[in-house]
Amino acid sequence: MFKSLIEKNERRSQLSIMAQYLNTCFMISTVDDEYLISIEKGNVTNVEEGPFVMPSYIFKLTASKNEWLKFLQSTPQPGSHDIIAMLRRKVLKFEGDLHPLMSHLLYFKLLLASLRPTESNNEN
Amino acid sequence: MKIEKEPITGYYGKFEIDGVKHRIYWEEAGEGIPLVCLHTAGSDGRQYRALLNDKKILKKFRVIVFDMPWHGKSSPPENSQVGHYKLSTESYISQIMSFIDGLELVKPVVMGCSIGGRIILHLAINFPEKFKALIGLQSAGHLDPYYDISWLHRQDVHGGEVCGGIAYGLMAPTSPENDKFETMWHYMQGGPGIFKGDLFFYKFDGNIGTEIKKIDNSKCPIFLLTGEYDYSATPEETKYLADTIGIEMIKMKNVGHFPMSENPEEFLKYLHPVLEKIN
Repeated sequence: MFKSLIEKNERRSQLSIMAQYLNTCFMISTVDDEYLISIEKGNVTNVEEGPFVMPSYIFKLTASKNEWLKFLQSTPQPGSHDIIAMLRRKVLKFEGDLHPLMSHLLYFKLLLASLRPTESNNEN
Repeated sequence: MKIEKEPITGYYGKFEIDGVKHRIYWEEAGEGIPLVCLHTAGSDGRQYRALLNDKKILKKFRVIVFDMPWHGKSSPPENSQVGHYKLSTESYISQIMSFIDGLELVKPVVMGCSIGGRIILHLAINFPEKFKALIGLQSAGHLDPYYDISWLHRQDVHGGEVCGGIAYGLMAPTSPENDKFETMWHYMQGGPGIFKGDLFFYKFDGNIGTEIKKIDNSKCPIFLLTGEYDYSATPEETKYLADTIGIEMIKMKNVGHFPMSENPEEFLKYLHPVLEKIN
């Protein structure tokens, strides 16, 4: 579901400048599946799919697979269009050290939104 | 290429709010019924640029948009210090009424969005006779905190970046990217702690509770419009207000928390019929 974050595309390339000093590792969980995502200088350098025995990460975003699928629609419905909207509905949980996330909030929102299909992007 | 001038005039003026000297910036366009517009928390009057350029509205209304103290081109009051700003219900009402009195406006229409959509409810409760009509955009009677607002003002996080990131998500994915970007940019330009200080009113001090039952729509017509993508002041919360007051709410499709700036074209389709009812 999130493995294609590693793939280069124009949207993700433009994003890296917004997080050029960011080096972190975070987890996205769909409850059943987990993805460990490494970022170096604003670029996604590795996406590892679980299961993991002892995963180490800075922060974790957890929502059900169904909620992530709603978020990843090309035009998501109200309440599924933004990670803070999902937080508001209590369908997404933020855990861990949130400093990298909150200090680069727009970057992470746009990074995740880059997985949404567009006319020129059918990577999902 | 010749510059295409907009019909907007900006002013600076000095007056007292609760006995304290202030220097305030505001913009005006049009002639007729005064229509005072209130911007959202952490932003400024540029949000209403589309209204200030709308020929249809300007034929009937004198549109007036002021930047709240600490916001946009308005100065902080005398003897201010960074980190001490907190908007209270009382001070918000004072600045609005002082501005209206200072410009000698008689029975203006006041339209506010978000915190402005909340304060018009307080105006409706306290001074209904002073207004021709009140229009609430993204109005909710209260808001339970759903994220930690201390992130909006910390010295180890760039305030403009995080405030912009919060504002961006409140807009509809269907709104034009250029308008969304400018709306976000206003947030990125706010002073340290100002968005957070405004949210003290929005999330704590300004909660209306059962007071909403005191609003009498026959004393002053109230109109409530809310964008469907707003998760801060949701359409459900506005509907609760509308049902309590006994009016119909207008749910706006394809817009979020900042209808007037994130998608002006769509917003004006909903606003024009409302303004036609005000004479």
